[in-house]
Amino acid sequence: MARQSFSAVRLPGFTTTAVLVFLALYVPIFTLVAYSFNASQSVAVWGGFSLDWYAKAWANTQVKEATLRSLLIAVSASAIATAAATMAALGTTRRKAFRGQTFIYVMINQPLMVPEIVTAVALLIFFAAIKVATGYQGLGYLILAHSAFCIPFAYLPIRARLEGMDLSLETAAADLYATPWQTFRRVTLPLLGPGIIAGAMLAFVISLDDVVITEFVKSGGQDTLPTYMLGQMRRQLTPEINAISTMLLMLTVAILTAFFLLTRKND
Amino acid sequence: MKKILTATALLLSGTALAHAEGVLQLYNWGNYTSPALLEKFKAETGITVTVTDYDSNDAALAKVEAGGSGFDLVVPSANYVPIWVEKGLIVPLDASKLANKGNIAPEWQDVPWDKGRAYTIPWQWGSTGVAVNTKVYGGDINTSAVFLDVPPELVGKINVVPEMNDVVNLAIWYVGGEPCTEDTEVLKKARDVLLAAKPNWLSMDYGATEKLSNNDWAASVNWNGSTMRARTANPDVKYGYPKEGYPLFMDSVALLADAQNVEEAYKFLDFIMVPENAAMISDFARYANGIAGSDAFMPEDMKTAPEVMTPEEFKASGHFLPTCSPKAQEYMTAIWTELQK
Repeated sequence: MARQSFSAVRLPGFTTTAVLVFLALYVPIFTLVAYSFNASQSVAVWGGFSLDWYAKAWANTQVKEATLRSLLIAVSASAIATAAATMAALGTTRRKAFRGQTFIYVMINQPLMVPEIVTAVALLIFFAAIKVATGYQGLGYLILAHSAFCIPFAYLPIRARLEGMDLSLETAAADLYATPWQTFRRVTLPLLGPGIIAGAMLAFVISLDDVVITEFVKSGGQDTLPTYMLGQMRRQLTPEINAISTMLLMLTVAILTAFFLLTRKND
Repeated sequence: MKKILTATALLLSGTALAHAEGVLQLYNWGNYTSPALLEKFKAETGITVTVTDYDSNDAALAKVEAGGSGFDLVVPSANYVPIWVEKGLIVPLDASKLANKGNIAPEWQDVPWDKGRAYTIPWQWGSTGVAVNTKVYGGDINTSAVFLDVPPELVGKINVVPEMNDVVNLAIWYVGGEPCTEDTEVLKKARDVLLAAKPNWLSMDYGATEKLSNNDWAASVNWNGSTMRARTANPDVKYGYPKEGYPLFMDSVALLADAQNVEEAYKFLDFIMVPENAAMISDFARYANGIAGSDAFMPEDMKTAPEVMTPEEFKASGHFLPTCSPKAQEYMTAIWTELQK
């Protein structure tokens, strides 16, 4: 028998573990989706098939406004975060190693390490002072806050892409008298494209799902879809929440699938 | 940094709308405000109400306390009202601007946590009692013995909601004490009763509406509104008001000290004390409202609901839980921790 190299797939119990893990991950989600088609008022007692809750969620103006607000914030925040992350990634990879590089990485990735609730409380206090001073209560605070915690999610795939790129192309461009800007515009950016798109989509999804920071930063009338759903918890939950969750899930899955396809293409 | 902030602030302040004509910012529990009520208010006064949700007293308090929240009205629970007052976050109401204040039902005109209703107007209230499937257990359900001295029929079939204040105080009343007591003898008795009863419980969990509806649980310590919904699905479920004493809860509307739209806020407060409008609040969130005469406008299923319309004989046993001293709180937490082991 030929000696085989190590592979987790051949370890004893691999299949059982894998099946159990996938069940634990997906059974609750399937249950949630199934009950969104429930005809009764309950999220746990089956009362027949119906699409009523989708119609109800669709007609609910609060849900509609919250969804639009969520999308607006996610689009703005992911755009800002991706721009900042691209610059940060270029600044930390396209140069010689420098003192304090690790410190810069830590600074950029801070939102991944600091507990969300800490950031939320800090932002609450900080923005409250600005709100009192300026009287401005608009969506700007939420967009800024979301941009901040989305940066590392956009930064990591962009940096990974930059590090995996062949430097000789950029060197060749410079050898052929391309200015740094031309090199960037004609060589680096096109090659970096998939990384930027992947980073932007990750940032978008993270912003769309955020609850804790949004709950603390939002001003009057600024509920996003997740905070609206959280607000329903105190009273009876109806399958309307399941229907909204299912639609949100679909959107997230669609974006993540696109993310997967885009990152796969050029690797 | 400062420069950038100022510049950003200036740029964004063009769209500021903190104080506009005819608007009102209501900060309320999620899924608690009737949209029809707000439409009616707008039709009568031209004022547009914006509702923002919160999901806990603490979150609401933290946010308003930080300042600059931009809200005008908030709806804290009874035991939190004294905290809002003490921190100076809500202001006494000017009774001369509230023509309908006399509509508050006599029993809610003066409440222990807001003497003479100086700061708050009732929004909704309810109680914590015991829900029992009367097909499983046919005995007296208006007693805490249902879960503290579990009848044989209910052993292993009863749930207790994991709410410390409700559960521990029900036990304290059951052994003859008063809520927030610091009397160690009483506390010891309450602890012993709870620990002795626990092996007979099935679980300590939420979700009573569903679990009672589909007969997963034969009984549960539960809230009245949830029990009403369970009874609608499963007519065998009945709500008991423990005669030894049971907790009441009430959420009331208060005016924030830094409110921008004070006149509009008063109009809204007066508006919700009109019986017909108060009934709209109840119709949406399914709890009683505390305004005399609103019963006539209530939806038919609530008018006759024994969970919402507390029978006269049980009214006296319902009490608000006071805000406990730190010492009493410590004792309760100790009992609760032991109970959850």
